[in-house]
Amino acid sequence: MNDIGEFTLLVALATAIYGCVAYVMSARGNRIDLYLSADKTPLIVWGCVMISSICLWRGFLTNDFSLQYVWAYSNIELDTFYKVASFWGGQKGSLLFWTLLLTTYTVVVHFQNRKKNLRVVPYAMAVLFIIIIFFLFLVNFSTNPFERIPLPPEDGRGLNPLLQNYWMVIHPPTLYLGYVGFTVPFAFAVAALISKNLDDGWIRLTRKWTLISWFFLCMGNLFGASWAYVELGWGGYWAWDPVENAAFMPLLIATAFLHSVMIQEKKDMMKVWNMSLILLTFVMTIFGTFITRSGLIQSVHTFDEATLGYYFLAFLFVILFSCMALIIARLPLLKSENQLDSFLSRESSFLFNNLLLLGIAFATFWGTIFPIISEAVRGIKITVGPPFYNQVNVPIGLALLALVGIGPVIAWRRATVSNLKKNFFKPLAAAFIAAVALAPVIPLGSRVENYTYITFVLCVFVLACILIEFFKGTAARMGLHEESMFGALATVTWRNKRRYGGYIVHIGIVLIFAGIAGSQAYGTHVEKHLKTGETFKIRGYDITYEKLVAIEATSVKTRVIAQLQVERNGSHYWTARPEKEFYKGQNQPVSEVDVLSTWKEDLYMILADFRDDESATIKVYVNPMVSWMWTGGWVIAFGTMISMWPDRLEQRRRLERFRREETLFPSPAQE
Amino acid sequence: MGFVHFLELLFVVVILLVIGIPLFGKMKLKKLVEAVDPDSDEYKHLLVRKEETLISIKELEFDLNTEKISESDYQELRKKLEAEANELIERLDQLEQARKKNKSAKSR
Repeated sequence: MNDIGEFTLLVALATAIYGCVAYVMSARGNRIDLYLSADKTPLIVWGCVMISSICLWRGFLTNDFSLQYVWAYSNIELDTFYKVASFWGGQKGSLLFWTLLLTTYTVVVHFQNRKKNLRVVPYAMAVLFIIIIFFLFLVNFSTNPFERIPLPPEDGRGLNPLLQNYWMVIHPPTLYLGYVGFTVPFAFAVAALISKNLDDGWIRLTRKWTLISWFFLCMGNLFGASWAYVELGWGGYWAWDPVENAAFMPLLIATAFLHSVMIQEKKDMMKVWNMSLILLTFVMTIFGTFITRSGLIQSVHTFDEATLGYYFLAFLFVILFSCMALIIARLPLLKSENQLDSFLSRESSFLFNNLLLLGIAFATFWGTIFPIISEAVRGIKITVGPPFYNQVNVPIGLALLALVGIGPVIAWRRATVSNLKKNFFKPLAAAFIAAVALAPVIPLGSRVENYTYITFVLCVFVLACILIEFFKGTAARMGLHEESMFGALATVTWRNKRRYGGYIVHIGIVLIFAGIAGSQAYGTHVEKHLKTGETFKIRGYDITYEKLVAIEATSVKTRVIAQLQVERNGSHYWTARPEKEFYKGQNQPVSEVDVLSTWKEDLYMILADFRDDESATIKVYVNPMVSWMWTGGWVIAFGTMISMWPDRLEQRRRLERFRREETLFPSPAQE
Repeated sequence: MGFVHFLELLFVVVILLVIGIPLFGKMKLKKLVEAVDPDSDEYKHLLVRKEETLISIKELEFDLNTEKISESDYQELRKKLEAEANELIERLDQLEQARKKNKSAKSR
């Protein structure tokens, strides 16, 4: 089977190269025979990569330690659940997994578009194939997951204990689905540039792809934060680690793109800007991969054998410079005659949001690459820590949060000052009431506390803006049709899915901002060394350390569990069982925290250390409002689902347009 | 030759056949796309613009109903959008007429 897996990877590479060349030649030579031949290649490449992946999965599930990769990331005792996830646990498998996702996306794009837009699609497929070829080249010749061990050992080294968490099954695939997904809009943007089809056709073709990729990237970031929170045992969820930043930057740029494309769709302007944003988003996904796999920047996420940096760096520069050259060559065609109607309009609020998002992305980028630059210039690697990011990004983030509320309230095209006064009166009043009500309750003084106060006030402002939008839409619908309030709300949302789905996503963003602010400013923690029966207090919780238990969970894993009773107001509240897990052959034990999460706060316990006399060092964090962030994620998921739901009206309009086009300018097949 | 190698060879032959057949078969159509017709491109572009302008008019009505803009702004912007839509429709009509004339001339 391993031979087959290795062989199909080679066949996939050869087929992808042929497919790429055939697509380009079919477009340049206007040859349908070549197109029909190339048309078979996406499915073949996907099939080959799929067979190869199945072979590798089989290696994990059957404990085939003749494969170096399986030996390095699995062992006999590993749960089947983690054996499946070990596929992407190391560099070699993760690149194969990336390739599998990319070829899967390519097949879907192929079936969606193979019979339409034939001036653009062959080039888009060729671009997709170029990227597939790059990854197939790596998995064939540089990081082959089917590399053998001449004398196979009896057992494997096992998966890193830190990765033995259910998030390992969820987080990497989600993040990869986002990363890889942006290849599709990127490919269509490049294809539009090459074929000179520079209207907004490529945007309409890839709108859903962009939204899906954005959604996965967003959820991938949140899942990653959630994983870091429960696994790393430091009480936090985000550390501005270079690899976290690498996933965050494309998300920011893609968010800017999602907003600014609306201006192009509505007003046929900002073509260069949108083109640049999607190209930059893709470049940032490759940059993220470069960081994870280069070993140039220290991060908890980097792969052990991070040796691929130069390949990714070269690929990154090739993409960057060729895309820039393409945009410059097409500048005359990308010019727009339209202009903004007014400075006071939703369009201009979107422009501001773009600038702020790019500002945060740039600051994050600068902080991420600063160690490389400082080493190159001064010979010393200076790492930029969270204070830098917080100092720069928090004020910009707050301005962005304000715009989340301001944008929807301003009308498209033009708003007047009197309108703004009228429309912002209620949200501003709500914000004012919140400011007055919160001032005596919330501690003020330090910079963090002040920022948190401003965040909460802005959250109320934005929520008021959005809820009033829902209310006004519902009221307008009720005024025109005889419908109940809930009926009108449902109809108005369903008929304007993009608009109201977006508003729901904004509510999710507000919850995330509130969660971050609350947990950063008002969290507290304590570390105590306790003997059994001893009690200590933290924020109204009485915590008693009861006992320490050691359990041989498996032949390779021993669990040491501390049991603590938590009382509140004199009555039993929770039994906490934080633990340390010891894995055979691993020097460092892994902390498994225990968390009681409520809407108000998380009670987060870590077994930091223990001694033979059963005394233990316990760290307890009280982190307010953390669950708001995770709830925000689900709200974002719900809003995105509404935005993406197929719109029958739009489909009807598209069909009507297509019918008119075909009547007047029939495609060759109909002539 | 082992069974695995035989399978691999068979696999390659099948792939070569699948991608090779279109290159040697007879095609009904020779060209992938017709030569670029500026009228066709313009027509498609204008159809999209017309659709967007009509959507903008609907949204403007929605903005008026939700009191996001004043009546006077609404009237002014609506006039502007209607003028844009009329211009687009006129140009679309011109292209349709020209195309129909060409077609009938060709058929004669």
